[in-house]
Amino acid sequence: MAEYQIRRCDRHLTGGIHPETHKQLSTAEPCVFVETPTRLLFPIHFSGGGPGEALVRVGDPVAKGTPIIRCQSGIVHVASRAGTVLEVTDHAMAHPSSERSACIVIEPDGLDRQDYLSPINWPFDAETLRERAIEAGILGLGGAGFPSFKKWSNRTQTLIINAAECEPYLTADDTLIRIDTHSMIRGACLLSRTLDIQTIVIGIEDNKPEALQAIECALKESRSDCFFDIVLLDTKYPSGSARQLVWLTLGIEVPTGSRSVEAGVIVHNPGTLAALSRAIDGKPITDRIVTLTGESFTRPKNVIAPIGTPISHLIAATDTNPQSLHSVIIGGPMMGYRVTDFSAGITKTTNCLLAREVEVQPESPCIRCGACATACPVRLQPQQMVAALKGDALNRAIHEGLGDCIECAACNAVCPSNIPLAEWFRRGRFEMKERAREHQQASDARDRFEARNTRLERLAQEQEAKRAARKAKSADALNKARKAREEIS
Amino acid sequence: MIHRPAYPPRETRLVMRSVLIALLPGIVAMSLFFGAGVLLNLATAIVTALLSEALCLKLRHRSIQPRLSDWSVVLTGVLIALSLPQAAPWWLTIAATASAVILGKHLYGGLGQNPVNPAMLGYALILISAPVAMTTLWINPLNPPDVEAAWMAFIGNPSDAYTGATTLELYQSEFSALTALEAKQHPLFANAQLGFIYGYEWVALAYLIGGLWLLYQRVISWHTPVGLLATLLVISAFFSVDPDTATPVWVHLIAGASIFAAFFILTDPVSGATSPKGRLWFAIGVGVLTYIIRTYGQYPDAIAFSVLMMNFAAPMIDHYTRPRIMGREASIKGPGGQS
Repeated sequence: MAEYQIRRCDRHLTGGIHPETHKQLSTAEPCVFVETPTRLLFPIHFSGGGPGEALVRVGDPVAKGTPIIRCQSGIVHVASRAGTVLEVTDHAMAHPSSERSACIVIEPDGLDRQDYLSPINWPFDAETLRERAIEAGILGLGGAGFPSFKKWSNRTQTLIINAAECEPYLTADDTLIRIDTHSMIRGACLLSRTLDIQTIVIGIEDNKPEALQAIECALKESRSDCFFDIVLLDTKYPSGSARQLVWLTLGIEVPTGSRSVEAGVIVHNPGTLAALSRAIDGKPITDRIVTLTGESFTRPKNVIAPIGTPISHLIAATDTNPQSLHSVIIGGPMMGYRVTDFSAGITKTTNCLLAREVEVQPESPCIRCGACATACPVRLQPQQMVAALKGDALNRAIHEGLGDCIECAACNAVCPSNIPLAEWFRRGRFEMKERAREHQQASDARDRFEARNTRLERLAQEQEAKRAARKAKSADALNKARKAREEIS
Repeated sequence: MIHRPAYPPRETRLVMRSVLIALLPGIVAMSLFFGAGVLLNLATAIVTALLSEALCLKLRHRSIQPRLSDWSVVLTGVLIALSLPQAAPWWLTIAATASAVILGKHLYGGLGQNPVNPAMLGYALILISAPVAMTTLWINPLNPPDVEAAWMAFIGNPSDAYTGATTLELYQSEFSALTALEAKQHPLFANAQLGFIYGYEWVALAYLIGGLWLLYQRVISWHTPVGLLATLLVISAFFSVDPDTATPVWVHLIAGASIFAAFFILTDPVSGATSPKGRLWFAIGVGVLTYIIRTYGQYPDAIAFSVLMMNFAAPMIDHYTRPRIMGREASIKGPGGQS
């Protein structure tokens, strides 16, 4: 039995909100596998892990687990079912930009051909584990899709399992913890052993008693020598945001501009750890749990779906006609984004499809009431930031702390003027990053230009020196010859 | 049992409506002690405010209906009507309200854009333009006019029988020669049921109740009223150690518009400071200025001028009272990122 303790979190989130959770909507039905769809779609550049390149060509046969995309970060995405590559074409995708981009389309053949990696056996070192995570395509399954191996530093003291799942409606993590507890615990333990982490913290909101019970049972059966510190959090949005969770569970404020890794903490989603555990056994990520929820679905539930399954196929899995819906939200009501083209395939970061009718209230002017500032978990002054952004003063918004915004959208939820503050901040932050990137590129270009100039100058000088030396040498030789001639004569 | 909401109202319309509801006890108390003139002022101001708003929106090619129905301009009108002398003639109310809405609000871009409190701008403008009317038409609560007399005052024929200066002015001009005990003999103080000032004390109490309800509803935060009232209390307590030579604490708090302003005027979020700490400093600033102007200035009450001055200081207060952002060593101070 692994040692563990359960404690109630003694810190309280500054700001935050208590939205209706609507979680029971999707937990009433059991989690089931969906039937394999007739098409699977994999965006080459937007599957998570950065832009990628296709490793297969049209007509290639693939097995379940065959690598099909390799991303810039190294991450490999695999075919989630056996079949044939039908085409590589521009297609709608599940991405906030709602643009079309190159996708690999696979037609599953219903056969059970597998192309898995060979299992790696304990003991292994961090480098082996990193390589395995890359080959198995492990990235943050909580929604951000950050390549997991990049977080694994040897200076880490604590691993936090982010089981808070504070976003309303979502129950994918809750479901995973309940049905796949052992994998999650095993993944956490193996990662901790490899990185020499002593404590594993599980941050879980107090509205998930079944998941907590499942964790307890699994820990009692586990033979790990890691210490598990289970922290019960108040059910308050956004306690599951990484920075907020690190502070709530450990009391560490991750400094602005750095990641929690730099503070010696790794935060992982339960699904990521379970996937890591399977990757060690050789199975790359081919499926994930997706919450299908919202009042517009006939039978909301959680499903296990192959990566790349079209959204329409999942909608149909809830006994709902896809044609009856105008749009669904991917993610949750707070941080999700709207998708209208249901032919797009889900990716590894698609944790939820939410379908509900929301009456959009007309926006009215900001009266600076400060409700958003009260709700902000980072203690920003959103009313000031949005005023700056609306006035096209990006620098002023950055001065007010735009860079610290976690885009949780708690401000949206409390604004009496129905101002879409979070959308402004998302756009502003995007522009901010673009500007920083351009700035970086410009300074890189300048550096390159200067380096080239010095190099050319150096070459010129060298050549000049060589020429001078040659000249001196020939003059010398001439002199010598002349002298010799004089001597002879 | 009324449940305390966890958040302020979720719509601007509801925020404004809550403030209007909270003003009701004060309006009732004022009508009881100062006569029907209060209601006439209110009606005039509300109609003027709505018409001015509609006119401005039309001239600015904005949709009229959403702004007229969000109660914000009605609130401006009500706040002005309650600030004006109770025996004010119709033109005074109309002029004050129209300048508040047109000059104070729409010249700057309408709801949410005004740098200063529109109601106080309208009040101050009229106070400077029509000082006599603004200083002599206050009703003596011991002798309020009947409906007919109130109507006569409204159409421009006030009677000296029931009008005069405000208590605060009275105390500062007429009673300055008297000792505190002698001043206390004045019927206004001698007849007071609560022991302060006849009529005014009930009005102040009514506004206090409305204001506390707003606090309870989370429409306003405690920083503003506490900041103003505590500042007035501390300063006046400090300087009125000898009640014979200085206006005592309770006159500062009960007479004048102190409580009304603390809960309903300074709490205008648009023109005030925005962070909790900023709101506290804003209110403290208004308190200090109010005391200074009341004591050394020429005008009967000082809240309007103090609020206007602090409105201009609000952006600077905002720059220096930002909360410390999570993950930062210290809060960001000062303006920045202007380029």
